[in-house]
Amino acid sequence: MRIQLTALMMVAGFASAAVAQKGYTAPRTPDGHADLQGIWEVAKSPDRDLEASKLIVDPANHKIPYKSEALAQKKENAKNTVANDPLNKCFMPGVPRINLLSYPFQIFQTPDYVALAYEYIHNFRTIYMKRDRHLPDIDFWQGDSVGHWDGDTLVVDVGDFNDQTWLDKAGNYHSDQLHVQERYTRIGPDLLQYEATVEDPKVFTAPWKIRAELKRDTRPNARIMEYECQYLAEEAAKKQGK
Amino acid sequence: MRKTLLRLVANGAAIGTMWLLAPPLLGQDEPPSQPGGRGGPEGRGARGGRGGGRGGRAALPPAGPVKRMADGKPDMQGYWNAGNNGGAVFEVQKHPRRMQSLPAGDGAIVDPPDGLIPYTAEYAAKAKDNFDNHLADEPELHCYESGLPNQMYRQFGFQIFQPAGYVVMNWEFMHAVRIIPTDNRPHSVPASAKLFQGDSVGHWEGDTLVVDTTNFNDRTWLDSAGNAHSDQMHVVERFTPADERTIRYEATIEDPRAYTKPWKVAFAFNRNMQPNYEQMEFACIEGNTDVLHYTPDAGGKAKSGAK
Repeated sequence: MRIQLTALMMVAGFASAAVAQKGYTAPRTPDGHADLQGIWEVAKSPDRDLEASKLIVDPANHKIPYKSEALAQKKENAKNTVANDPLNKCFMPGVPRINLLSYPFQIFQTPDYVALAYEYIHNFRTIYMKRDRHLPDIDFWQGDSVGHWDGDTLVVDVGDFNDQTWLDKAGNYHSDQLHVQERYTRIGPDLLQYEATVEDPKVFTAPWKIRAELKRDTRPNARIMEYECQYLAEEAAKKQGK
Repeated sequence: MRKTLLRLVANGAAIGTMWLLAPPLLGQDEPPSQPGGRGGPEGRGARGGRGGGRGGRAALPPAGPVKRMADGKPDMQGYWNAGNNGGAVFEVQKHPRRMQSLPAGDGAIVDPPDGLIPYTAEYAAKAKDNFDNHLADEPELHCYESGLPNQMYRQFGFQIFQPAGYVVMNWEFMHAVRIIPTDNRPHSVPASAKLFQGDSVGHWEGDTLVVDTTNFNDRTWLDSAGNAHSDQMHVVERFTPADERTIRYEATIEDPRAYTKPWKVAFAFNRNMQPNYEQMEFACIEGNTDVLHYTPDAGGKAKSGAK
């Protein structure tokens, strides 16, 4: 197992320049698209602090380009992340945060949908492949996802967000004007490149971009388990006599 | 107790049982409003009642045959609602009118013939205690997934996906999920893994999807009345499409600690025929104040008792 893990880490290292493994072509689904199906988890979660993680590849300084008043709000958030981080209340994480937590998720593909089932509080995203625009006049915690294929890359446009989620534990945040474009590219049998371009004209001066690598769970008969945050919190409170 | 529940109805905010009592929810046959998908002129707010899926039935032509996947297996993909099940979400067994908020119903149990859960003494007492003293502990009020067979008659419908090797079900309610591999794999999680939704493995027997589920925890209820099971529960389900709009459903439930013999529920799922229907996002804990509406004598946290 240790050898396998080491090998996986080496592969992850080689692929970190965002280049597919040499000669690799993803397998196909019956309708001819790249097959991204499997259980995936980010190799190294940046959730503690996106900026410190260096997974922000644009701008080059790895910093989120906040407007000045928004930077003040971020600093305010950071003063008490324990109390203020929505994840500490077991809320839905939003996008792209949910893909970058240390919990796996499973990708399913049909001709009409790509479905993402998350171990983290049984969150579930349905990506509509046959709808080309967002729903009018409604906000979602996880946004509204519509997808299309750019060659072998699944491109997902996510809009219709509310302003209640954070981008990480460090207090990085967004408004309800958040718009995310995700790109999922299988760059090896067990490696998925995930990119998210994040824009929000109320909060950021320019779009910025995350790039991360997700590794596949290669164990036979693997399944995602259940991380039920609210249940665990209530059980912990009972033990403390609250 | 009765006053406690009346207070709940007045507050009208509970996620579990009481949600079902809001007038729009009882209108299961009212005409649906269009969901406004594809950027249509109506906002999502125009959706109105949650009776979705069965409205408009009178105008539909007769149901066609079961749809097929490329490999010939039944194609059950789409949106479904639990059909008539004798008020199982309130109480899965045959039940008298328990109180204002829990109307009488036949339940969904077809075996044993009396329609009652064949409890052991221990679990009969546990179910009674749940009902008498712990209605605020209904797992759904705390945003837990429902487990089986409860999940299958929960409200607001579900979507079936059939990607290669799986049947995946996603409910709007609580964004609950079941992932059922259909590749003949064995159960492969350790016995110590106790899950709200259990560990499901499936296979096809002709046109019937047979699903075997183990590894349950004991934290889910069978319904809103507190009917109970232990972590020894084992459920075998049979999904048999009858036509393009109907799936016949049976589940056999055994649990040597909680029941003296296996028992069986049966009902049908009806396909949601609304064009462009989509499920919405059901935020639960994100706005949950349910336990604030339950008085302390029901295990809740309401500041003032029922007066």
